[in-house]
Amino acid sequence: MGETTPFDEMYNADGSVREPYRALSEWLAEQPDKGLALMQTDAEAIFRKLGITFAVYGSEEGTEKVIPFDVIPRIIAAQEWRKLSRGIEQRVKALNAFLYDVYHRQEILKAGRIPEKLILNNAAFCPQMMGLEPARGVYAHIIGVDIVRVGPDEFYVLEDNLRTPSGVSYMLEDREAMMMLAPDLFQRSKVAPVETYPENLRRTLQSVAPAGAGSNPVIAVLTPGIYNSAYFEHSFLADQMGAALCEGHDLFVDGGKVYMRTTTGPERVDVIYRRIDDDYLDPLTFRPDSMLGVPGVFDAYRAGNVTLVNAPGTGIADDKAVYTYVPEIIEFYLGEKALLNNVPTYNCTDEDQRGWVLDNIGDLVVKEVHGSGGYGMMVGPTSTKAQHEEFKKKILARPDNYIVQPTLSLSTCPTHIDGTVAPRHVDLRPYVLVGDEVRITPGGLTRVALKQGSLVVNSSQGGGTKDTWVLED
Amino acid sequence: MRIGIEHKLRVTLPPGTGQAVLHLLLTPPSGQSQTVESWSVEAPGIGNAGRLIDGFGNTAHLVNQTKPEGEELLIRVRGTVTTRDTHGVLGRPPGEPMPALYRRLTEATRSEPDFVEAYRGRSVSRLDLLHGLMADVRSNLAHNEPVPTQMQADGGQVQRQGGAEAAEPPSAAEHVHLFIAAARALNIPARFVAGYRLGEDADGGCLHAWAEALDDGLGWIGFDPQAVMCPTDAYVRLATGLDAQTATVLRIVPQSAVTEEVTLTRHD
Amino acid sequence: MLGRTAQNLFWMSRYVERAENMARLLEVGYRMSLTSRREGGASEHLVSMLQAAEMDEAFAERHDVADVDTVAHFMMFDPANPSSVYSCLQAARTNARSVRTALTTDMWESMNGAWLEFSQIKPRDVRGAKLLGLLQWVRQRSHEFRGALLGTILRDDGFAFLQAGNFVERADNTARILDMKYYVLLPRSSLVGGEIDIQQWTLILRAASAHRAYGHVYHDRYKAHNIADFLILRPEMPRSLVYCARFVQQNLDLLAKIYGRREACQDAIDDLLRLVEGTDMDKIFAHGLHEFLNDFIDRNNRVTDALSVSYNFY
Repeated sequence: MGETTPFDEMYNADGSVREPYRALSEWLAEQPDKGLALMQTDAEAIFRKLGITFAVYGSEEGTEKVIPFDVIPRIIAAQEWRKLSRGIEQRVKALNAFLYDVYHRQEILKAGRIPEKLILNNAAFCPQMMGLEPARGVYAHIIGVDIVRVGPDEFYVLEDNLRTPSGVSYMLEDREAMMMLAPDLFQRSKVAPVETYPENLRRTLQSVAPAGAGSNPVIAVLTPGIYNSAYFEHSFLADQMGAALCEGHDLFVDGGKVYMRTTTGPERVDVIYRRIDDDYLDPLTFRPDSMLGVPGVFDAYRAGNVTLVNAPGTGIADDKAVYTYVPEIIEFYLGEKALLNNVPTYNCTDEDQRGWVLDNIGDLVVKEVHGSGGYGMMVGPTSTKAQHEEFKKKILARPDNYIVQPTLSLSTCPTHIDGTVAPRHVDLRPYVLVGDEVRITPGGLTRVALKQGSLVVNSSQGGGTKDTWVLED
Repeated sequence: MRIGIEHKLRVTLPPGTGQAVLHLLLTPPSGQSQTVESWSVEAPGIGNAGRLIDGFGNTAHLVNQTKPEGEELLIRVRGTVTTRDTHGVLGRPPGEPMPALYRRLTEATRSEPDFVEAYRGRSVSRLDLLHGLMADVRSNLAHNEPVPTQMQADGGQVQRQGGAEAAEPPSAAEHVHLFIAAARALNIPARFVAGYRLGEDADGGCLHAWAEALDDGLGWIGFDPQAVMCPTDAYVRLATGLDAQTATVLRIVPQSAVTEEVTLTRHD
Repeated sequence: MLGRTAQNLFWMSRYVERAENMARLLEVGYRMSLTSRREGGASEHLVSMLQAAEMDEAFAERHDVADVDTVAHFMMFDPANPSSVYSCLQAARTNARSVRTALTTDMWESMNGAWLEFSQIKPRDVRGAKLLGLLQWVRQRSHEFRGALLGTILRDDGFAFLQAGNFVERADNTARILDMKYYVLLPRSSLVGGEIDIQQWTLILRAASAHRAYGHVYHDRYKAHNIADFLILRPEMPRSLVYCARFVQQNLDLLAKIYGRREACQDAIDDLLRLVEGTDMDKIFAHGLHEFLNDFIDRNNRVTDALSVSYNFY
């Protein structure tokens, strides 16, 4: 697929401008020389001043960097978005139903639709969750769905993020910055708001408070602390919701309930939006050496005295090996065909498929089953022969540790590069909230690979972000 | 048989502990093999404890002690249980997780024993197969076991946690893990049981561990691979889990030394 | 409010104030080293300034020679020195990050901006005139932060913790500077006002930014008695012990009012105030200035201890 020209979201093949991008195209044409470059400089100053940074693990020059922001927004038409959001809603409903099932009667396993071992022997499956009744039956309340576009009407889901998806603060701050930088462009377009996200998050969290919580449940955001790469986001969201930003030692259990240590003594907490991984959440139940978590918080959750968001064990639904079965999952629980496509995925434990994969590795993408953030991944067409050989060896050594997909020709969007505008590959992560209802913020986070030809959009690998506009009719 | 049980756990907290949090699995269930007549758990802070059912169907207490006085916590469990000899058969009690869960391999039950090969593709009844496994486990571990079966008797003190040292004979838990690993390797759900066992001279007893495996017809059946027998009315079930770790009767943060004293008395 | 949040606010404020005091102290040492006419004088002034900051031992561990370069580097940039301007700003900013939600945007931007700018500075570029410029910059950023605080934050418990931290630190600093030089302030039979004494007094007053205000208040030449009075008992002097203690008291009273309850820390601050109110310099000299200052520093530390117990710092 590397040969074909990727789908460009602004220009048709004949060079004419696609309808959703008309206003943007005019606006771009009006910008004076160096106008975009100046805007870019302003944007960077805004982000650094606000302290919107992320940490790059292992980077030598200190722990904080500003994620690059591209000043040209990415635009999605109303009717394209309708289709996407229907597909997303279907997906998150099915995945929550799947989670309820695997932690209760396991009908899908009994029916043989998914191999039992794939679920029950999976490291992401959390046996301690068995039989627990989460409020409203929801396990994954906050979900980021990674989507790529390859054609005018062709979207693929790359992966679902049901653990503690991050990046939503960039979506919000990108919009904030864009409104400061180009108010005139907003005036010419009808852009659906994203600023409602924090309020929707608060509502979602309160809607899943335990039964005894009263009419105004208390929310705490639980962060690993200031050295976590997403700390900015944790504090940002807590601030926007008016919730307390807690570290593990700010919370404690007493009498099976969870409290914060405040200046005036203990205050009861009803809902914990935790941004700490399952393993570190509670040393009493999970990793005993964890210093980040709250001892006993999982038991308090099981006792029905607090809600953990997302629930522990949701990772079983976004496991890369389970991903292949999502269309199956949607059919099993909803009786519907999946509205959004999965990327075809090859299973290296199957001998025939593996042989084919090894022969064609130069055209394929290899991902580690438990990798994330673009690490442990190889994109065939942009890798060297030596890298191909290296990954062949890895696959042969541990075929179950890798999934392999065709190299998708990600769509491109106009992007500001050194004073000029050039197409760069993008993906999209819309954010979904599931509580008393499903709330999808129009748009999401667009990540852009700033290197020419690169398909890796992760911020840790030289990717940037764009404001994402969903146009209203 | 009516068995009186007294179980004391002495927890020595690290100096300067600000808060201790304890997870207790010290409440036995009633079922086919036993009826709990009376039961009490005394511990500092127990009156205010959280009570819950864990993922494996056990009744758990979440106890916390803020600024504990002194460094020692005493937990005292007392009660009377009427037991019945069902030859280990327990059926399928309600409220338990799906048996398939107990095919999950955990750290302690991951390595597949060699002796399971002999059972692959053989058509024996599930019951015979499990008895065979039980005997195999015993002989597999016997060669490095100089002393007789009983793990502890007569209310002696048992130092828990920290694992067996090389010179120690294999513990009951090691027998159980090997049995479970073998059963799961053959795709049979098997689980870890922590409980009490009355001593052979009718009085005295100990905290013990054995296994349960699933038969499609009879439901769960107990196997004590260390004693090479199915549990009798001398056994009192306390908690079940995937392995020793998930069925531990007492977990504590911060990690602390625990000494236990178990006294079982037979009331006829 | 989380106990940890209160703690972070309190200490953030203390560190900003400490950074400012370090800059002020270094400026004094630097100026005096320039004007010293005696052989070895420069080094002596710098060392006594290090002593005032209680840094002399740590300095001696790292450097053999006390000259402007080594001392300036140690007090400004050395991350191994927990009281260097670098360490203070970093600690202040780390505390600020932990409690971002309790800060206004203006406060955060001021704090974050100060740290980002300072951390970009290459120590080897800061010599001579540039050093003075940078020291002024540190003071100005401290003022800017305080301005952002006063201009934007709600007058709630967070405000009270911030203000208390600021003035507990300032009181400590003033008391330590006085204690370092207490012997030049003692009433002596011989005529005082020799050149060396005047230089020492100037050091004290400048370190408290009080050398010009002194003239306005006393309309007199530098006298030891007046200087001590000015920095200890003058209620209108914003770095005097009595002013700082009263200010802390007001803010702890505000906390008692907000929370509807008095705690151990309100008693501790009352106890501190009893030491500096209803007394005069003669009584203090009679009792012993050094003993008095040590007592003050102890009681001031107890305010912090009591505060952490009263409001669940941990």
